[in-house]
Amino acid sequence: MRHGKYPFIVGFLAAPVAIYVTFVIAPYAQAFYVAMTSWRGVDANPSFVGLQNFERLLQDDVFWTALRHHGVLLLAMPLITIVLALFFAFMLNVGGGGRGGAMTGVWGSKFYRVVFFFPQILAVVIVAVIFGRVYAPDESGLLNATLGAVGLEPLLFMADPGIALWCVIAVLVWQAVGFYVVLFSAGMASIPKDIYEAATIDGANRVNMFFRVTLPLLWDTLQVAWVYLGIAAFDAFALVWVLSVDRGGPDRATTVLGVEIYRNAFEYSQFGYASAMGVALFFLTITFAALTLRVSRRETIEL
Amino acid sequence: MATVTYSKATRIYPGTERPAVDHLDLEIGDGEFLVLVGPSGCGKSTSLRMLAGLEDVDDGSIHIDDRDVTHLPPKSRDIAMVFQNYALYPHMTVYENMAFALKLRKTSKADIDKRVKEAAALLQLEDYLNRKPKALSGGQRQRVAMGRAIVRKPQVFLMDEPLSNLDAKLRVQTRTQIAALQANLGITTVYVTHDQVEAMTMGHRVAVMLDGVLQQVDTPRALYDQPSNVFVAGFMGSPAMNIKTVPVTEGGALFADMTVPLSREQVAAAQADGGDGKVTVGFRPEDCDMVSPTEGGMPVVVELVEDLGSDANVYGHAALNGTNERFVVRTDRRHMPNMGDTIFVKPRPDRHHVFHAVTGNRI
Repeated sequence: MRHGKYPFIVGFLAAPVAIYVTFVIAPYAQAFYVAMTSWRGVDANPSFVGLQNFERLLQDDVFWTALRHHGVLLLAMPLITIVLALFFAFMLNVGGGGRGGAMTGVWGSKFYRVVFFFPQILAVVIVAVIFGRVYAPDESGLLNATLGAVGLEPLLFMADPGIALWCVIAVLVWQAVGFYVVLFSAGMASIPKDIYEAATIDGANRVNMFFRVTLPLLWDTLQVAWVYLGIAAFDAFALVWVLSVDRGGPDRATTVLGVEIYRNAFEYSQFGYASAMGVALFFLTITFAALTLRVSRRETIEL
Repeated sequence: MATVTYSKATRIYPGTERPAVDHLDLEIGDGEFLVLVGPSGCGKSTSLRMLAGLEDVDDGSIHIDDRDVTHLPPKSRDIAMVFQNYALYPHMTVYENMAFALKLRKTSKADIDKRVKEAAALLQLEDYLNRKPKALSGGQRQRVAMGRAIVRKPQVFLMDEPLSNLDAKLRVQTRTQIAALQANLGITTVYVTHDQVEAMTMGHRVAVMLDGVLQQVDTPRALYDQPSNVFVAGFMGSPAMNIKTVPVTEGGALFADMTVPLSREQVAAAQADGGDGKVTVGFRPEDCDMVSPTEGGMPVVVELVEDLGSDANVYGHAALNGTNERFVVRTDRRHMPNMGDTIFVKPRPDRHHVFHAVTGNRI
């Protein structure tokens, strides 16, 4: 096996690596190059402008607004999603207490488990269209109809710059929570039942059980969830594009980098500048992922 | 320090007809080491978990001392349990594992420290207090599980096959340690096992269960010498007692050419309740002798000889009423027969056990 080992490996690797380089690495490299030009999408030989696009980026209020929105998304979205998903997963798996020996979920937990997963199988655009109706500013909207029925004034939702971003976050959470319920459920299912029983006998109530037994044993799963959700918080493009007023509005109250990249590239034909934003987004995402994995690193727990 | 009383305690798992534990009546004295033993599925673990509060009690009641704990949650019962897989908290150190229950009870830091250190000293765990369970051997984990129970100073210890995950040698060693520890602490202990050797060696009293029904509770010795029915007779002792159902006559039980003498009362009892001319007789392998052909023994053809070092088990068969029945005889190594030999086996007088052929109860 020593001889002919490399041809063998190369034979397997050549095609996938070639495809990966062509469609992933090369576009990345090109984006870095384009970011340093003033390319407008049509000229064959764009002029090289160095870091000028990045200098402009730092002066751009819209860029900073989008960045601030990512900051809010990054804090709120993973936190709310994980807390909700953990709560639901706990209720579905051990929340019913130790009736009849085994720890069980609350009544009807099998049904809820399926229902929670529904939003996950919908395409983002469909979700955006649905919530466009839910958030409709007049009585035709689900929420405003409800508010009207109990005698409250209608809210503008997506058209109100004060709450529009939070409406977007609510949809993101709504769609993501089901997946993380399933992820955490799987994590909880792998915790041996007798550990829960031992904790019950040791005198742990549900709160103790959750914070001192379930949560520490779920740490690895939690960390993965945090990274996924954080990276998702740097995206949110499709939802904002379809759901928000004026694509990122009103008055850029919900805009995110993806939206601005698209707008700059395909509406303003400023491909160079859009690429610079893309490069900034790339570094933000990668820094976040590395930081999260580093900060939350703990000794792996063997069950 | 407490007594435990099961009064007609019954557990029926949802969706099943037959109770897993059927009207269990059992009294366990203060400081007693009671072993629940039986084949798998006999309800011994369920009985223990009912006492722990991990299983519902569908009927009857359970008392610890005079307190009715039937429907109390586990934490209000003042019990500690050692699980088969130890159920240590993998994310906590040995120290934290042992301190967990005390911490939940808001015991003071100094008190926790003192009690954990004491338990660690008792179990030779002092050097491992800062380790996580995964860095411990099986025996050490088992001791941590014991320690977690000891620091609580509970009224009752519950142990659910705590030795079954250890290798044979360590099991024997730990067996004596647990027995000694229990004697030292004097805490009432209920111990579940499927291993009748553990039951015989550790328990002050042993409760034998089958199909959810308690068969007999007694000291190991009485259980061995006076089994109350065929099941207990066959379950206790290794190799198992030779138990055969044979025709009964005025003089006794007929084993081919050999008659095992029975008293008149025994013969009468065997005939009652549809005994149909049969009686079940058992004798232990060590309670019979190999005799010369003229002394009235039963001819047995040797199939296998197990040399155990100290003595030997001889397995063979004899023709009884037209069928070949298997027998085991324990013998001195100096008189070991060879395979294929015919030996003559005779139970020692008055060391045989007589049971009713239909009900299986001792006569």
